[in-house]
Formats: sequence, C-alpha cells, structure tokens
Amino acid sequence: MISVKNLEKAFGENKVLCGIDQEIQKGEKVVIVGPSGSGKSTFLRCLNLLELPTGGEIWFEGNNITDPKCDINKLRQKMGMVFQHFNLFPHLTVKKNITLAPVHLKLMSQKEADETAMQLLARVGLAEKADAYPNQLSGGQKQRIAIVRALAMKPDVMLFDEPTSALDPEMVGEVLQVMKQLADEGMTMVVVTHEMGFAREVATRVLFMDQGKVLEEAPPEEFFAHPKNARLQDFLSKVL
Amino acid sequence: MEWLNNIGAWFNSIGAWFVGLWNQFYTTMIVDDRYLQIVWGLGNTLTITVCAILMGIVIGTIVAMIKAKVFSPRNAVLKAVVKILDVIGSIYLTVIRGTPMILQLMIMYFLILTNISNGVTIACIAFGINSGAYVAEVIRTGILSVDKGQMEAGRSLGLTQTTTMFKIIFPQALKNVLPALGNEFIALLKETSVAGYIGIHDLTKGSDIIRTTTYDSFTPLISAGIVYLVLVVGLTSLLGCLERRLRKSDIR
Repeated sequence: MISVKNLEKAFGENKVLCGIDQEIQKGEKVVIVGPSGSGKSTFLRCLNLLELPTGGEIWFEGNNITDPKCDINKLRQKMGMVFQHFNLFPHLTVKKNITLAPVHLKLMSQKEADETAMQLLARVGLAEKADAYPNQLSGGQKQRIAIVRALAMKPDVMLFDEPTSALDPEMVGEVLQVMKQLADEGMTMVVVTHEMGFAREVATRVLFMDQGKVLEEAPPEEFFAHPKNARLQDFLSKVL
Repeated sequence: MEWLNNIGAWFNSIGAWFVGLWNQFYTTMIVDDRYLQIVWGLGNTLTITVCAILMGIVIGTIVAMIKAKVFSPRNAVLKAVVKILDVIGSIYLTVIRGTPMILQLMIMYFLILTNISNGVTIACIAFGINSGAYVAEVIRTGILSVDKGQMEAGRSLGLTQTTTMFKIIFPQALKNVLPALGNEFIALLKETSVAGYIGIHDLTKGSDIIRTTTYDSFTPLISAGIVYLVLVVGLTSLLGCLERRLRKSDIR
C-alpha cells in the first residue's frame, strides 16, 4: 500500500533521514519507536508530505507522491493523520471540525457528513460533545475527536504522530482504547509512539529507528523478547 | 434666607451661560444653514473612511498573505512569481509607511491621478493604499500568531493551502488582531481630516469654512470634535460587538 524507497530528508546540513526502505501492506499496524531526534516523526510526516523529502521515493496506492506533478491533496484525503497536539480547529464546534473537510471537498453533503460525524462520535463515546468547542474538552477528549475528524474522511491508512505524548497519564488509556478498536477493525496504521504496551499489544510489526535509519524491525514478540541490535537493547532496557 | 438667593443667582448665571452658548451656536451654525457645511463634510469623511477601510482590507490581506509566505508552490515558475511579489510587497510597505500621508495624498492628486477630477475618489484611493500597508502588517502578525499545526491539520485532511487559509487560519488570525485592526481604522478615520489639503470638503474643512465666515472659532471646531468623537465611539462599539462574537469559542 505504501512503499518507501531510499527516503532521505535533510534540514540544511542536518540529515534527519538517511535512506529508509519500507513496505507497508494493507491491514498492517506498524509501530515506530526510538529515542527523540531519531527521525521517526519526520519519517511519518514525509509519508503525507507534510515534510518534503530531499531524496528517494514514496509510492502510495500505485502513485509516486514524491513526483511534483502528483496531486497531493487528493492522496491526503486517503491518509488520515493524528497529531501530538491534536490541532483541532478552536474556532469551530466539534461537529464542524469533523464535517468541514468532507463537505468542502464535496465527498458528502452536509447532512451525510453530520450523520457520519454523529455515528463516529457515538463510537468514541463523545456524542454529547458535538456542539462543544475544542477548548471546552479535556486532552483525551480532544485527541479522540481528532481521530474522528481523520476517520470522517474514510481514509485507507491512519498516521499517528505520538498521539498520547501530550496527554495527562490518566487520559492515555481512553485514546489508546480508540486506537485499539480501530486496529481490530482492520485499519492500516502507522504509529509513532512511546507506549511500549501499545506496540506489544497492537502492532503487527515494530520498527526501531535511530539517527535516521531503521535499525531493527520485527514482530512485537521477537522485538521485545530478543532484540538483536545493541542500540535497541540499550533503548529497551531504559524504557521497559 | 440669603443662601437661597445665592443658589438662585448661581442657577441664573449658569442658565445665562447656556442661553449665551445656544445663541452663539444659533448665529454661527443655524443661521444661513451653515450646519450643512458640517453635514456635507461628514458625508465626505464617511465616504473616504469606508472606501479606504474596504480597500485597505483587500490590499492588506493580499500583501499580508504574500509577506507571511502563505504561498509555497513546488513549481519553479510559480516560485519565482512568489519571490517577485514578495519584493514588490516589501517596497510597497517601505514607501507607504516611510512617507507622510499628506504627501502621499498630494502626490496622488497633483502627480499621478491628474485625469481624475473628483477629489473624493482620489482621496479614497490614496487613503486606501496607505491603510493597506498598515493593515498588511497587522494581518501578517495575525497569520503568524496562529499555530503552525493548524495549517498542517487542514492540509492533512486534503484541503488545499488556500482553503485552509480562508477557512481555518484567517478566522483565528482575525480574532487575534481585531483590536489592532480597530486601532488602525480609528486612526484612519481621524487621518482623513487632512483631505482638506487637496480641496476636499470633509468634516474638518467644513468646520473651518464656518470658522472663517463667522469669525467664531469655538462653536464649529468643538462641534466637529464632538462629531469625530461620536463616530469613533460608534466604531469602537461596533468592533467590540464583532470581537465578542469571534470570542464565542473561547468560553470554557
């Protein structure tokens, strides 16, 4: 579904991604872990071109999205993204946050979008917040709304950029719960996170990144039980 | 009973003062319908202010978007166009903010728009162009005040840069800079008082005409002052209303 070939990204002299090759299949749940500054967020943001790669290619559903001629807006509609800081639109109600894009892009009528929004909100247990503004919600609620906003576009893949890192510890659970539910339904997911428990439980494959390279990738059982790379062993001994 | 007489006398003198003021007002303003000078001037002042505000918003928004690097095309030709527009924008801001308003007005009237005979039209254009420069900086500040994540969130949903700008960034930017924008419009309203320099009969000029015909300075100048004050108070409350509406989403 997503195929990354020798992806490189540099900010000026600073090389953040040094040649990454990845194949992500439909239905896979790929969790990326690694120390800060390892390039994992940058890698994720390259997948929907929020960061423009400086080298290599990314193919998504048969299109080379790194080709300047490619209509990235069209492809982004199929790639949902959830951010560390939620990035809800504070001047719009929850319902409007969710329906804005599908209605504006003429994927749904306002009525259809409203119905979809209410269904999705009910699924994450926030139906009564439809007319609230983001500032009236807790962090966990905001992040669940942000997930719903991305889901309303009916994406083929969901990208999560440290979705629980900005949350109070007691709110992490409710967000992870929604993500697990999504995984069980078969959504293709790429998740950058520090939640090792989530990686162990949900991932089909875990990647370890450091200094712009993928140093190890394995199914979670093997990844956590028998890490081969010395850097990963060191990392795991600190975080587990 | 003397104190009662004193108070009576005091009231009498105040009454006399008001009667005198009214008589002065009557002879200066009402006789020969001279107050029409103020009314007519007010019309021109309002026309120039409203036109200039509208023009200022349009020019300011465009220049602000160019200066805030809102457009970042991947195409090389468009990139060059954006670069050129950016330079033009910088020159515009420097020249307009670096020279006095009266001078710009006179240059427009005597050098550039010489084939337009209507002074008010020229003033609308000159004040609009001037206001645009200040509005541009205010709006640019507003755009920069909105978190970068908002643009990313909009783009990640597949919205174009322009749509995200108008639907998501702008409403928030406007809310943040409305007080500063109001300041600019109030300043603009009062600055139109220099329009008399190119022979426009505005509010200030109107009061000055009355002053020179009646040799009474007090009544026309204070009257004009009161009219400006009422206009500014009205504009302020209008902006206050708008601000309260935009702040609706801040309630927790």
